[in-house]
Amino acid sequence: MSSPAISATGLIKTYPAKGGDVEAVRGVDLEVQQGEVFGFLGPNGAGKSTCVRMLTTLLTITAGTAHVAGIDVAKDPDGVRRKIGVALQEAGLDARQSGRELLILQCELFGLSAKQAKSRALELLELVDLVEAADRRIKGYSGGMKRRLDLASALVHEPEVLFLDEPTTGLDPASRLTVWDEVKRINERGTTVFLTTQYLEEADQLCNRLAIIDGGRIVLEGTPEVLKAGLRQRKALDHDPTLDEVFLDATGRTRTRVAGEVEQVQA
Amino acid sequence: MNAVSQGWILGKRAIREALRTPDSLAPTLFIPLFFLVVNVGQAGKIFPSETTAFLGGQGYAAFQLPSSILLGASFGSAALYLVEEIEGGYFDKLRSAPISRTALVTGRLLSEAVKSLVLTTVMVLIALPFGVRISSGILGFLVLLLLTSTWAVVYAGFMQLIALKSRSAAATQSGGLIFFPLLFLTPGFVPRDMLTRPMEIAASLNPVTYIMEAMRSLIIDAQVSTVLIGFAVTGGLLVVSVALNVRAVRNYD
Repeated sequence: MSSPAISATGLIKTYPAKGGDVEAVRGVDLEVQQGEVFGFLGPNGAGKSTCVRMLTTLLTITAGTAHVAGIDVAKDPDGVRRKIGVALQEAGLDARQSGRELLILQCELFGLSAKQAKSRALELLELVDLVEAADRRIKGYSGGMKRRLDLASALVHEPEVLFLDEPTTGLDPASRLTVWDEVKRINERGTTVFLTTQYLEEADQLCNRLAIIDGGRIVLEGTPEVLKAGLRQRKALDHDPTLDEVFLDATGRTRTRVAGEVEQVQA
Repeated sequence: MNAVSQGWILGKRAIREALRTPDSLAPTLFIPLFFLVVNVGQAGKIFPSETTAFLGGQGYAAFQLPSSILLGASFGSAALYLVEEIEGGYFDKLRSAPISRTALVTGRLLSEAVKSLVLTTVMVLIALPFGVRISSGILGFLVLLLLTSTWAVVYAGFMQLIALKSRSAAATQSGGLIFFPLLFLTPGFVPRDMLTRPMEIAASLNPVTYIMEAMRSLIIDAQVSTVLIGFAVTGGLLVVSVALNVRAVRNYD
């Protein structure tokens, strides 16, 4: 059997803070198989982004080990960087460049010649449907266009594993659907996708398997179907629960409590 | 793909960025020229070229030009672009790619050197009609450009360090002011031996003094030893500045 695309054991991240260290991630174990779309869900501040940042070499790992594409993240970060594509929250792009320039630059940084970079950039612009806007400055792009460009820039070197941190947060429903289509297409070409999201529907639509993190620990893991069936059986429900219900149950949040919190805010 | 070629790719991008924000370039030329005019206007009469030995037969503008050139090379705008990139998230995108950590910080510094070459050339060209001559000739002028652009890299490097540590535009902008007094704790109006004793001691402890004196020497009296000292000081600072930047980006968490 081939090695997993991502594996993490006892992953911990602590930050120094006034009054003692803060544990953002408290011992996460993960295994994502090649070719999967893996969803990583959790409430705000649960540790999703911190995990992604450790797996993508952006943050040091306080304790535990992580391997991406079979390479140890802490021991050979550059090796990992060659195998991964990363599109982080809020599409970090250089607004003064055009879409084409940004992609060509990214290609060149990955070692492609000027000619190769040009043709690869065009291929990617076609993939994310940005050919018409290619020579406009990114500053004038809509939120959806920026996300698609960010996605394209994460693909210049045909990564084995693609990390997407909340790829559709803040997008309108139409743009969200477009990004979902892109993700599906990328995955169909064999790329493993690790995706964090706050949208349960997104996880339901895209992910083969998912994990829910809360308070820096994984509280639930499985396929969406198995998780829903498990909740139905455990609570003896007379209907098929949605992923929302699974999420609320797993993170100890209930609809009543959430509604109560909303009421308090309104009052 | 090595650090040099990656640094060059990122440097070209930073130059393109600077060209696309001409608004931010204009003050780096205007402010130093403004100080040149004001300082010469204020003290020019005190130091007539015929009776002032340290002017080497030139007008007071020749003595003041290095101060303005130094000021023009001490805006460190690379750091402001960098902090913008950190705040916007693009820096993390670059960090997650297999790019040499050295290239990540030197790319922008390279563009700072190029900007400084252009800016200094323009300033010298503007000064020529006012009687300023580069006594060391064309070669001296090229040496002046090299010295100035090296200093621009040093200064921008220290500013980038604040950007990497603080990750905040406000802190970087005001942090830059820490270095500003160094530009004025120099023999800006008269040679060092004519300063009051406390000021002379302060200026002698300030590395910028030696860079200013080297520039001045290239313009007025072409003293090789003074120029070499200037290069030694700038070179030393360059090593420190770039090394601290590389360390900061390696430990960036």
